[in-house]
Amino acid sequence: MSTEITEPLSPTTGEPVSTTSRRDRLGVWLIIASCTTGTVSLLIAYSYLWSLNVNNAWAPTEGSANWAADWPFWAIAGGMVIGTLLIWRGYGALKKGNVGAMKSMALISTLILLACFIGQIFQIATFPFGPQDGAYASATLWLALANCIWLSLAFFFTQALFNRARRGRLTPDNPSHAQFVAMFLTYLCVAALLSAVFTLVMKDSPNTNSPTFGTFQQ
Amino acid sequence: MSTVISPPGGGTTVAIHEQPHVPQPKQVGKPGGFLRRTNFLTAVISGIVLAAIFYFVTVAIVNKVTGGGQQDDLSLPDGLQAEIAMMYIGWVIGFMAGIGAFAGPIRWFLGNDLTHADAEYMSGKDMGREKYWKYTTDHKVVGIQYFIVMMVLFGVGGLLAMLIRTELGITWAEVFNPNFYNSLIGTHGIVMIIAMIIAVTGPLGNFIMPLMVGARDMAFPRLNALSIWLLVAAIPPLISNLFMGGIRDGWTVYQPLADQSPVGMIGYQITIIVFAFSTGIASVNLITTIVAMRAKGMTWSRVPIFIYGILGSAIMGLIWFPMYQYSQILALSDRVLQTSFFTPASGGSVWLYENLFWLLGHPEVYVIVLPATAALLELMPVFLRKPLFSYKLAIAGIFGIVGLSAVVWVHHMYMTGWAPASNYPFMLSTELISIPFSFLVLVMLGTMWRGAPWTKLPMMAVYAVIWNKVIGGITGVYLSDTPVDQYMHGSMFVVAHFHFMLMGAGLFGAMAAIAYWFPKMINRYLDERIASIGFWTAFVGFQITFFAMFVAGLQGMPRRVLQFDSLFNVANWVSTIGAYIIGTGMLIFLYAIITSWRGGELAPGNPWGAHTLEAQTETPVPHENFPVLPVVTSDPYDYGVPDPYELADDDAIREAEGVAKVGA
Repeated sequence: MSTEITEPLSPTTGEPVSTTSRRDRLGVWLIIASCTTGTVSLLIAYSYLWSLNVNNAWAPTEGSANWAADWPFWAIAGGMVIGTLLIWRGYGALKKGNVGAMKSMALISTLILLACFIGQIFQIATFPFGPQDGAYASATLWLALANCIWLSLAFFFTQALFNRARRGRLTPDNPSHAQFVAMFLTYLCVAALLSAVFTLVMKDSPNTNSPTFGTFQQ
Repeated sequence: MSTVISPPGGGTTVAIHEQPHVPQPKQVGKPGGFLRRTNFLTAVISGIVLAAIFYFVTVAIVNKVTGGGQQDDLSLPDGLQAEIAMMYIGWVIGFMAGIGAFAGPIRWFLGNDLTHADAEYMSGKDMGREKYWKYTTDHKVVGIQYFIVMMVLFGVGGLLAMLIRTELGITWAEVFNPNFYNSLIGTHGIVMIIAMIIAVTGPLGNFIMPLMVGARDMAFPRLNALSIWLLVAAIPPLISNLFMGGIRDGWTVYQPLADQSPVGMIGYQITIIVFAFSTGIASVNLITTIVAMRAKGMTWSRVPIFIYGILGSAIMGLIWFPMYQYSQILALSDRVLQTSFFTPASGGSVWLYENLFWLLGHPEVYVIVLPATAALLELMPVFLRKPLFSYKLAIAGIFGIVGLSAVVWVHHMYMTGWAPASNYPFMLSTELISIPFSFLVLVMLGTMWRGAPWTKLPMMAVYAVIWNKVIGGITGVYLSDTPVDQYMHGSMFVVAHFHFMLMGAGLFGAMAAIAYWFPKMINRYLDERIASIGFWTAFVGFQITFFAMFVAGLQGMPRRVLQFDSLFNVANWVSTIGAYIIGTGMLIFLYAIITSWRGGELAPGNPWGAHTLEAQTETPVPHENFPVLPVVTSDPYDYGVPDPYELADDDAIREAEGVAKVGA
């Protein structure tokens, strides 16, 4: 007795691609879950130091004039959202058989994410504080650095989607890699938006009577 | 577990060799491509070269920025920080490039998918021993690689333990200088923690688990290779810290002490960052394999309990390890970039570090103990020839521990002054976790009840582990009480307690599990006599060492001290003698492993008459594990329950369908 298999098979394992896709999708969800814990760690660090204001050293040393500007966070996050929506749209078109649309969307998304990446580096380079200028500076710098790392990954993934679509690896009956990239980019958008919200909402520490712990120097 | 063979093509997974007609991408060059030229040697060379390049480039940049006024004394906290950090990063990237880890992502990026021939080459098919030194994807090879790495780590950690006990036992002289002694403590701690984390989920999670669920391989074979080689890359930075001022602050490397430590601390931080990637990737792989690749008919109520233990451990590793990883990323940033996450003088908080650290630091105990305990639960029905007592209670125990592990970390911070009001809720949650733990002990005792044990080493080890776990568990309940912890905190009593849990339950459990699955992994029986001598020698030494340590702790001896009052001399002498007995026992056990591996008695496919799927395939395990994928038709522990095939008593049917006749 043999079963007729009509859908494409994975060249490496011989399984139907729907089987490997289901498995891969679970893997992507789990990676996102793990990455989320990492992002939460950074957000905990930011909000915790903001709430404590240890040694009255949360704010940058030059005072409130040295907070980072808000708009670059939102501009970069906005760019990421647009790039992600394009990949979702490309994925939808791919499922309907329009490989060309997938290629275009991946290419445009790559360019947008590249611009975001450059913008992120520019933002870090032009922060009105250095990494040593207190807890706010440290926490904000790392939110931006994390975004930078995510953006470089996002750029790699979307460019890969373009390459793969061009090489005929993304097909209407095997579109899952586009979906995985879109899923991961969605997580990156959430992380970037949360960073933007935190840096917007949590500036002046609510703790005006900050604890003093001494310097702990040897 | 009874199995029947699925009709060809009838399963959800189709054997590789049965699908020669699958359209293949164009084969570029020979199968394997770049990976044909990479191995451990190329990885080491590439790692060293890139480490040197990163180091010298950073030296040049830093000199340019600072005008050459850089402190280059490695024993000082501020000596060559960025240079050393970049050197380690260069090592890791170079090593991974040299082993071939980037070949897959680059191929995927370019749209060059693997062919079937590529996949077969990467899985080490027909390759011989060379495959153990390469970026091989076969889960059996990765399992053996983990086994070797685990033994190396235990060897290093054990040697450091001997040095520590030697120092503490020679009460009339100072063997090491205090800084080096502190480094021994810290390095021993973290090496052993890493070794324990991988002790069961590494070798057995990779080798045995896919067989046990009836899969051909792990869900993501290339990620599997990535996880083991990331671990290998992470080890040299850790060991090299001993030559760069060491880790002087225990394995917890509390801030701000860690920030003031010599640059050896950077080795610790890089190791944890890389190891966390390795563990996260391994967890994704383990969970996906268990959830998505179980054999047909293996419903959640038919999944062997060992699989549940691996699943619980992987879930905790996946969720909590990034917290630990980020604690070290931010600590490294404080050292190298002068940020202020944990430096109170400039707005940082040491409590932030402690929270991030212990959010993984405590669940890590369960990451270690759960799979070892589940392995014992797995082997007990086999050696008692009776079903597992209350299978569902065991599952409840495992997931009760997984759930409660998220709300116990603060008991490590009772004495730090952080949120004193939270002490009592966390005292309650910590005591609560002893309930699901007790479930597991209860299942063990219930399974033993009125059983007639087959007195082989794996089964006898269960008694040893139950004893250790009860001692470790009860002392843990005391320590979870805030009032008691006020007195006991930071004492040798705490050290004895967690050794009873981690070593007593975790390591001795892992030894039992290794003894049980050694014939399946190595194709030879572990020498029962020599291994038993080693195991029980180590067990006796363990009791002597750590009961004496309990006494020292109750007398008030603090941990991590080099010099102490003569009041504690006797306890330390006894403890050191016990430690040497442990060392002797472990060496005997290691000797049993090596001699059995080289020339032990050949083992059949199912040496213990187990019902689980891994026992139903032949030994040595074929490249694709099963001729055709199995279908599960009954519960995993139906010992004593008549097998439908036995009842049918139709040898012809059984023979035609390839079902092994197993003992009931």
